[in-house]
Amino acid sequence: MYDFMYHFPVLAIMVLFLGAFIASLVGRRNAVIRNAVVLIAMVTSLVLILSLVKPILLEGQTITYWLSNWEPVGDWAIGISLEVDALSLFFALIVVVAVFVSGVYSFFYMDRDDSLVNYYTLFSMLSGSVLGLVLSGDLFNMFVMIEIMTFTAVALTAFRNTYEGALEGAFKYLVVGSLGSTSVLIGIALIYSQMHTLNLAQLAAMLPGYDSPVTIIAFAFLFVGFGSKAFLFPFHPLAADAHAVAPASISLMISGVLTKCGVYGIIRLAYTVYQNVDVNVMNALKSVCNPMNANFVQYFITGVGVVTMFICVTMAFNQHNFKRLLAFHSISQVGYVITVIGLGSALGLSAGLFHAMNHTIFKGLLFLTAGAVQHATGSLDLDELGGLSKKMPGTCALFLIGAASISGLPPFNGFASKWMIYQAAFQKAGETGNFFFVVVCVAALITSVLTLASFIKVAQSVFFGQLNPKFAKTREVSLGMRIPMWILAILCVVTGLFPDKVQQWLLAPATSAAMNAAGYIDAAMGQGYAASFSIPSFQPQSIFLSGAWQPVMWLLLLVSVTLAVCIVALLGSDDKAPAISETNTDTPADPKYESFFSGEASVYSQVGGSDLFWGFKHNWRHYFSFMHNWHSGVVNDYTLYGAAAIAVALVLCVIFL
Amino acid sequence: MTNLLWTMFHVLVFPGVLFCVVIGVLLAGLDRKLVARMQNRVGPPLLQPWYDFLKCCGKETIIPRHARRSLFLAAPVLGFAALITVALFVPVLSCSTYSTSADLVVILYLLTVVGVSMIVGAAASGSPFAGVGLSREMVAMISYELPFVLVILAVGRMAGATTPLGVTFSLQAIVDWQAANGSMLFHWSMIPAALAMLFVIPCEIGMHPFDIAEAETEICEGTLAEYSGPPAGLFRLTHCVKMYIMCALFCAMFLGGISTGYAALDALVVVVLSVVITFVTMSVPHAVCARFKVEQVFKFYWTVVAGLALISLILVWLGL
Amino acid sequence: MFQKMIDKSMAKSPWIFHVNAGSCNGCDIELVSVLTPRYDAERLGFRLTGTPRQADIVVVSGPITSQTRDRLVRTLAQVPEPKVVVSLGSCPRSGNVFKGSYCVDGPLEKYTHVDVSVGGCTPKPEAIVAALAKAAEILAEKRKEMRQA
Repeated sequence: MYDFMYHFPVLAIMVLFLGAFIASLVGRRNAVIRNAVVLIAMVTSLVLILSLVKPILLEGQTITYWLSNWEPVGDWAIGISLEVDALSLFFALIVVVAVFVSGVYSFFYMDRDDSLVNYYTLFSMLSGSVLGLVLSGDLFNMFVMIEIMTFTAVALTAFRNTYEGALEGAFKYLVVGSLGSTSVLIGIALIYSQMHTLNLAQLAAMLPGYDSPVTIIAFAFLFVGFGSKAFLFPFHPLAADAHAVAPASISLMISGVLTKCGVYGIIRLAYTVYQNVDVNVMNALKSVCNPMNANFVQYFITGVGVVTMFICVTMAFNQHNFKRLLAFHSISQVGYVITVIGLGSALGLSAGLFHAMNHTIFKGLLFLTAGAVQHATGSLDLDELGGLSKKMPGTCALFLIGAASISGLPPFNGFASKWMIYQAAFQKAGETGNFFFVVVCVAALITSVLTLASFIKVAQSVFFGQLNPKFAKTREVSLGMRIPMWILAILCVVTGLFPDKVQQWLLAPATSAAMNAAGYIDAAMGQGYAASFSIPSFQPQSIFLSGAWQPVMWLLLLVSVTLAVCIVALLGSDDKAPAISETNTDTPADPKYESFFSGEASVYSQVGGSDLFWGFKHNWRHYFSFMHNWHSGVVNDYTLYGAAAIAVALVLCVIFL
Repeated sequence: MTNLLWTMFHVLVFPGVLFCVVIGVLLAGLDRKLVARMQNRVGPPLLQPWYDFLKCCGKETIIPRHARRSLFLAAPVLGFAALITVALFVPVLSCSTYSTSADLVVILYLLTVVGVSMIVGAAASGSPFAGVGLSREMVAMISYELPFVLVILAVGRMAGATTPLGVTFSLQAIVDWQAANGSMLFHWSMIPAALAMLFVIPCEIGMHPFDIAEAETEICEGTLAEYSGPPAGLFRLTHCVKMYIMCALFCAMFLGGISTGYAALDALVVVVLSVVITFVTMSVPHAVCARFKVEQVFKFYWTVVAGLALISLILVWLGL
Repeated sequence: MFQKMIDKSMAKSPWIFHVNAGSCNGCDIELVSVLTPRYDAERLGFRLTGTPRQADIVVVSGPITSQTRDRLVRTLAQVPEPKVVVSLGSCPRSGNVFKGSYCVDGPLEKYTHVDVSVGGCTPKPEAIVAALAKAAEILAEKRKEMRQA
């Protein structure tokens, strides 16, 4: 690695903040200059982060950067630091790619809004803050970035403040989001009062040997705080309110990037700082140096993940709004990630990271297609839309790719990561003999099929069936909006077809980095620092799979069978025999091409909307009516749930740890 | 070169397209014949599904005005091809072709792909009846998914208990375990799971008491309402092939131990077993039961059938 | 390459779609009785289908009331070629006792070419089976004609 590369992380962050500043200075008059500034900022940070892939992810180096060269003196790390290991860079990659796609999409998607200079300023700040969060090397800077992130996200949620519910959604996000931020701040204060440092590496060295109830309480606060940023249960209603009204490009940022920050925080906290998630090699040493009961933390994190993923997927069944439905699915997928992260195995963490990455890709794609539908028709109402596949074939194809990915259909990326998730959960059950993890595995599989059902509902309600006469003049969206979507769609396919390469180049280094607390400490504090606190050095683990999945092989088989069928069909066809017949015009002249409706004349009759699967919902009506009452939409209630979550986490941690 | 030829043989002849289609058509014909005999009728000839398919190929394909042409025509082909790939992954007793490159979870999802291609085809046809049909198909899918998953986990634990990981998803490992320890079906703790799987089979295929998605009298063939000509024929053929594949899957999961050692003979054994399974799980309920209501299917599968599978899973988990 | 096989299968698997154009339900019951164990038309490959898109033989019963006329015409148009139309009972042929009523727009010949016609009020099941078998033969011939045309 060249010396100048040490400056890349801080430059990547600064360029985005600088972009925000310059855009607001010069962009008020000239839209072209403003867009150019934002584009340059985004591309620069993308290039800077990409150039770090080789040294950090592939060669396994770690960059530690002390701002103003305030290096640790006398073993006390006081200065602000950036520490970029493979885990940080993995999340940074997710962030910059999502920012780039979302930014490019915005240029075309936001063309009908005004005061865009505010939008781009906030957008750049949001991008810079999330990048700063994942690259930060100390806890307090993480908090600062969380604050910037939350407030810019709130402002962007309310950007289209003429929309019904925009201000309401932003207000809820502001109040309950502040509760989460406060929780993080309290946790940090508690830690600082005990440890007198907030540098992550130094904390990682000192905390495991420091047996104090205060740090355990701090863990509870920090977990709930980061959890609220990932919208985990019971913070999930916020996401729905915010997503439904935010512009689609911001929905992508909130679901694809902001939730990932919460996930990153939890991984950093549980794996590196507290090192309390069971790592197999540490089993022998756990009783000596680990004050936290690793099993409890596993159950706790996994339990929260399972509840989140299941409740959110069932909530999605009740939605009438396209983006609200996507919002609930977004949280459900984050639930998957949290579930496997809680397992604490190398396979589990790999699966979680993979799914986190895939979630950004496919959920970003889905939000952008929702944005395209909104842009083209002006509506997001599932009960009203329908038949758009005839008018927007490109968007329909993109939506189907995204839907197949999130529902975990092979060969798309959602399947590859979900497959690893099932393996991880079931293996954990096999190793520990604990039935809890079997339930986790079953819940994950059932959630997957419910997700599929939900997206079949969206496909049928929005893209298939009959076109509402109201939307007869709908046009396909511009190429500028479709290209960012195609980028994500291609990523969906590529990462789905080559999961082994993704594992080798991205996941394995990131997983090792997350589990290698000693390496993380030594990189910042100097060689031998971890050993002086008897932090065990890391032995890389190999991952064993209890099954097999070769997507390329399957695809080849599928293609060959399809070819065989097509060849037989061609050989068997006859020019004179009846062939395919279709109508050319859209005029309803020939009854032959009308839908069969028991002989009735053709009228607009669309089967779709929110209540498509009544056969399923009927059996669950008590559950759904309970959930309906529970999600009251009152901000006081949601704040109460947040406070209750903190209380419960505190009580559980104090009792069990 | 030989390798390529073998691959082509596997894909096209055994256990791929030709074998699947022939056995599937025979099983479907046999099912209709058996139902007819149980109702004291003569019944159609054994090759009736094949005639049906050929007849469909000779008809005109009408693409309705509300349909999305490309998906409407691609869905049946895609569903059929995905189903054939499942056949390649399921070992036929001792003879397995690609069973080490995909495991039970993959097979579960590939079967889902088959269902989804039907749903997408139905959705793309733009008919309201197809809309109702796909809604029902999806509810049926949710219904049988839970017991199916529980059965998979029970079998995976049973076969994997002795391995270092404690569990397995690999169908090949399950078959090998049975070869060493006797068929799953003969371990008493697995009998409820086998029963549950027998219940899953007709719903997965959409056979009579559970054919809520294609109820021809209520919702005009449901998902197939707008399909005509060769695509409709291909969907019917997929249906037949699915009968064989589900039977073969049951054989691999629960009857893997009985192997003669000769590939050809093994295939014959699987065919004979498939006939028995078809008779038990499809023909008898078809002749005896009336069609379930949508919500009844869901309730039945999530309580009775899932309960059976759960009993097995718990028994296996306790090491019994 | 497969055209010969398809030609042969044409007569072996005719699927029936039944349209009730104002019938008194007598013919409809007799048509169903054809599929019962006593007459078992399924042994000839007949099957009742729920949608005209998959039908080969359209069986029309009833005198074509003015309420059902448009619906009948639409449904007949939605059947893919080749198709055969069978008129069941006396009503679609002549109007039977309803002839001359203000609300009867028969006979069926006004709207489509009728290939096979079964008389009777109601026809015997044996006659219906014979008519359907005849219709299946006509179906196979229509298919051949289409190929040679």
